[in-house]
Amino acid sequence: MIEPAIIQGVIKILLVCVIITAAYIISTRNLISLVSMYSLQSVTLACLALALYAHDQAPVLLAIAVITFLSKALIIPYFIATIQEKIRIKRDIEFHFLSPTSSLVLSMALMLVVYMALTRILPATPSRENFVFFGAVIGLSLMLMGMMVMLSRKRALTKVLGFLSMENGVLIFGMFVTELPFIIEFLIVIDLIILVLLTTILTVGIDSTLEDYHKRLHRFHLLQGEEERP
Amino acid sequence: MILLAYILVGLTALAVIGLSTTHRRMNCVCIIHAFLYMVLTMYILLFQQVPVASFLIGSQYFFMDNFGLFEVLIASVIFTCAAVYAGGYVGSLLKSGELEKSSLKLFYASWSMLLFVLVLAFFCDNLALFWICAELTTILSAMLVAILSARENIDAAIKYIFIASASMLFSFVGLIFLFEASRRVLADGGTLNWTVLMQHAAALPPAMLVAAFALVFIGFAAKSGIFPFHTWLPDAHAKAPSAVSALLSAVLLNVGIYGIVRVYAIVHQTPAAATIAPVLGLFGFFTVAIAAFSMLPQKNLKKLIAFSSVENMGIILIGIAVSTPLALFWVLFHIMAHSLTKASLFFSAGILHRQYRSRLSTETVDEIRDVFRLQPLAAWGIIIGGLAITGMPLFPIFFSKLFILLSLGTVSLPAMFVLLVLLFVAGAALGYFVITAFSRVTAPGIPSDIEPYVTPLTMKLPLVFLICLIVFLGIVFTQGEISFLDRIVQELRF
Repeated sequence: MIEPAIIQGVIKILLVCVIITAAYIISTRNLISLVSMYSLQSVTLACLALALYAHDQAPVLLAIAVITFLSKALIIPYFIATIQEKIRIKRDIEFHFLSPTSSLVLSMALMLVVYMALTRILPATPSRENFVFFGAVIGLSLMLMGMMVMLSRKRALTKVLGFLSMENGVLIFGMFVTELPFIIEFLIVIDLIILVLLTTILTVGIDSTLEDYHKRLHRFHLLQGEEERP
Repeated sequence: MILLAYILVGLTALAVIGLSTTHRRMNCVCIIHAFLYMVLTMYILLFQQVPVASFLIGSQYFFMDNFGLFEVLIASVIFTCAAVYAGGYVGSLLKSGELEKSSLKLFYASWSMLLFVLVLAFFCDNLALFWICAELTTILSAMLVAILSARENIDAAIKYIFIASASMLFSFVGLIFLFEASRRVLADGGTLNWTVLMQHAAALPPAMLVAAFALVFIGFAAKSGIFPFHTWLPDAHAKAPSAVSALLSAVLLNVGIYGIVRVYAIVHQTPAAATIAPVLGLFGFFTVAIAAFSMLPQKNLKKLIAFSSVENMGIILIGIAVSTPLALFWVLFHIMAHSLTKASLFFSAGILHRQYRSRLSTETVDEIRDVFRLQPLAAWGIIIGGLAITGMPLFPIFFSKLFILLSLGTVSLPAMFVLLVLLFVAGAALGYFVITAFSRVTAPGIPSDIEPYVTPLTMKLPLVFLICLIVFLGIVFTQGEISFLDRIVQELRF
């Protein structure tokens, strides 16, 4: 049995890693490293779930770790990378509204706001340790940082990644704050996979050059059609 | 076990669509699918004990109460009409090459699946499950918008998906808060079951409840096109094929409102309602105001109708904020009346869209000419529907608007006058558009270059049916209708 104190230390370190990946996603211009960074973030998430499992012994967390690893660290990044090769876009240079530096500063401010808001909403209970609270703050901040990516990037594909890291934030928040029934967690993952598939396929239409996107899109439409049917 | 009947019908419909090859057959399946749902819902309402106790997989994930049945009834009526309409409309899209034959199956499969998921959503007792179904409706309806695979359609669909799903994630955080709040109160662990939450609503901690509602509201507001999350709505509604626009406006916006009403019903049992109701009202006002002033300079008919949907959602939100039993009664009535009227308007707009083709689909000014000579039915459809949607007497929306205004007047008289002025602006915008567009006539003697579009009967029938239904609902109030709506209000404990 591992000491709870050590596990808590590990959890805190992992949470910091999550924030670092989020900061990288906000600031980088290279699309390929964006995807691998997202993959890394998901792996960190799976590790977090495992660490929490070691701490709480709730079997749901184990299931979450497995699902997260499979869907978000392998399937979705692979899918996005394939699409990326197809549309031949390597960099997303343009930023709306916010430059990377200012969005980093803003995200720090957001974390502070989330921290203050949560101290008021989540009443302090002695049984739940402070790392739970820390996790909740990081989760919500990650979600808001993901939203900033969606707002500030121009390419639809980068927006998809922003949405995905938003969703990772929700997962962290959910993991730390409460335990949802397994079936719900599972359905949500399915839901999100479909969402990502569809959005990415549509993205092909937007991000690629106009000439042959009709044809391409068409091919993916059919592919999507087979996946959609129950 | 009646829920299984719904599931069975839905799955069979999907399977048959998967197997069929002709457009006509796929269309027929969609019509029958929606019609069977309508019959089933009527059967439950007339012959079964409502709420139907249901029982699937362990704890109660599904249930059927009057509110859910009410929404399903509206959805199935609209889907039946829209499916009949789609027969002609999609046929004409195919003929003009705007829709490729190979995406036909995808179109009807998403259509049928959308109805299926919608019905499940309205029967969800578990709010997280409802959230999932609502997300799926976003995905499926976005596919229906993007099906034309023109760049602007894909743009609109992506915007819709991004705004709606990003906001729905906030909603999910709100649901986690709600779950956590219930876990602190209930002895046997937390729950998101609406029925259980309603029973224990008074005990839930108000601070967490306010936070939960605020977050949940963000998502469902985006789904129903409430300001400031309404930006996706006009684009998606204007770019989608008209049969789909009717569904988006008449059924999908109701999903968001349904979610808001459900969660607000929980909040309404607690002191937290006092903080939340004014905020809801404020959002409602902003929504109506933005919609009304966006309607004024609008030159595109479908966009105009889409903004009118935004306006009506604002009115509904104001009605919910007033939160008296009377106001809620008329909110429900307004939901129904708006759905039927808006569907008929989009049907007429669709016929005009086919007549004046691509000229209407882009951002450019509409070039509607000689409308009474070319499309008399659609023209009268727009005029009657327009009168109905602005709330002229003899139409159902007149009563709902009147009583929502009166209920608002009991809370705050100035607010009522502001709303009244905004409604006038919206009505004027609609009237101005109709008068200018419909009075454009080619002078006699000059040969007109516009070919008249032969409207298929399947496009005319649902339009006529809906208009008759609206007029009927405006004139006749049956006792059954009143007691049905009363039961919903009681269920929601207003």
